[in-house]
Amino acid sequence: MMLRASAQATSTEVDIRAVNGHAGSAAIGIEFGPELLRFAESVALRSPDLPERRRELLEVAGPAVLVDAAGVAANFQRMVRIADATGIPLDSTAVEASRELRSELHMERFPTARYPLPAK
Amino acid sequence: MTAFDYTGAPYAIRDDIGREHRAFWQRLARPGSWWTGKERVAIARASRRAWTCRLCAARKAALSPDTVQGEHDDDGELPPAAVDAVHRIVTDQSRITRRYVEDNVTAGLSKPAYVELIGVVVAVVSIDEFHRALALKPEPLPVPQPGDVSRYQPAMLREDIGFVPTVPPEGAIGNEADIWPPMRAANVVRALSLVPDALRDWRALASAQYLSFVGMQNFVKDEARHLDRMQMELVAARVSAVNECFY
Repeated sequence: MMLRASAQATSTEVDIRAVNGHAGSAAIGIEFGPELLRFAESVALRSPDLPERRRELLEVAGPAVLVDAAGVAANFQRMVRIADATGIPLDSTAVEASRELRSELHMERFPTARYPLPAK
Repeated sequence: MTAFDYTGAPYAIRDDIGREHRAFWQRLARPGSWWTGKERVAIARASRRAWTCRLCAARKAALSPDTVQGEHDDDGELPPAAVDAVHRIVTDQSRITRRYVEDNVTAGLSKPAYVELIGVVVAVVSIDEFHRALALKPEPLPVPQPGDVSRYQPAMLREDIGFVPTVPPEGAIGNEADIWPPMRAANVVRALSLVPDALRDWRALASAQYLSFVGMQNFVKDEARHLDRMQMELVAARVSAVNECFY
């Protein structure tokens, strides 16, 4: 939702399917999108290709972008664990606003989608 | 030696990141609300061991984590229920259930203690992940400081979201006046509020690694960052999707 909101704030066209790992989609409207996507994915998966993904991002975007991307990825490795360990539901204000997005990204497949959505 | 001395890092690390990492390390070593300094550092140590725990790997691969029995890779410093909670939060958080949290209460891990434990685990995971992402060595854990736990709980609590009581949106008053600005009490912000200092740690680290509450209102670009907001949210969303986070 925040990706879409930030794209709308700058009237930028993005392809939200990037969230599910489509590097081609990440290239639309987002500078260094494919490299950022692959780096983030490698961090989250704890993949052995992390050195390669780090080098790839460093080469196209430089060290300052790499460091900030590492910070954001690390921060969200934390956020998902807070949300899931405490079982918090989607905010009631976001239920309607995110309905289309959840469908588009097939988010119902996630284990934590089992929690009932709050009423408005 | 100064903790989180990034002067020798292969990439220039922003000063605010080092500052917040150092500040958390100091708080980690001190007694908390429900765990002593020694126990908090033990929770941090258990967080690091969880990644290579064979029981956790077997559970992660199983259809249900409860079908796999065994012992965690553990040094015996913490009660078994706490060790199990730490390992699950690190390696299999999306399958934590209300029943699991309630059963832990019966086993002696109270909800306030569980929330503080979450706060320690996720902060250590986040700092360690930052290091791993940049090929930096993990920071040695701090020396625990002596002292008693405070057993502090906020005056206003409600059981309306999730598995644990939280401060309601209107409860940021009195001792909790600083925990969130008006109208900024999203569920993920409230999640750790049963232990307000855990939420304060959350905010402090997020303000350096991601954005402050004020910075989050800027959907274009924070001047102190080298990523614009779309780039940040692409990274955030992909990490969350890989972790199968519905929230």
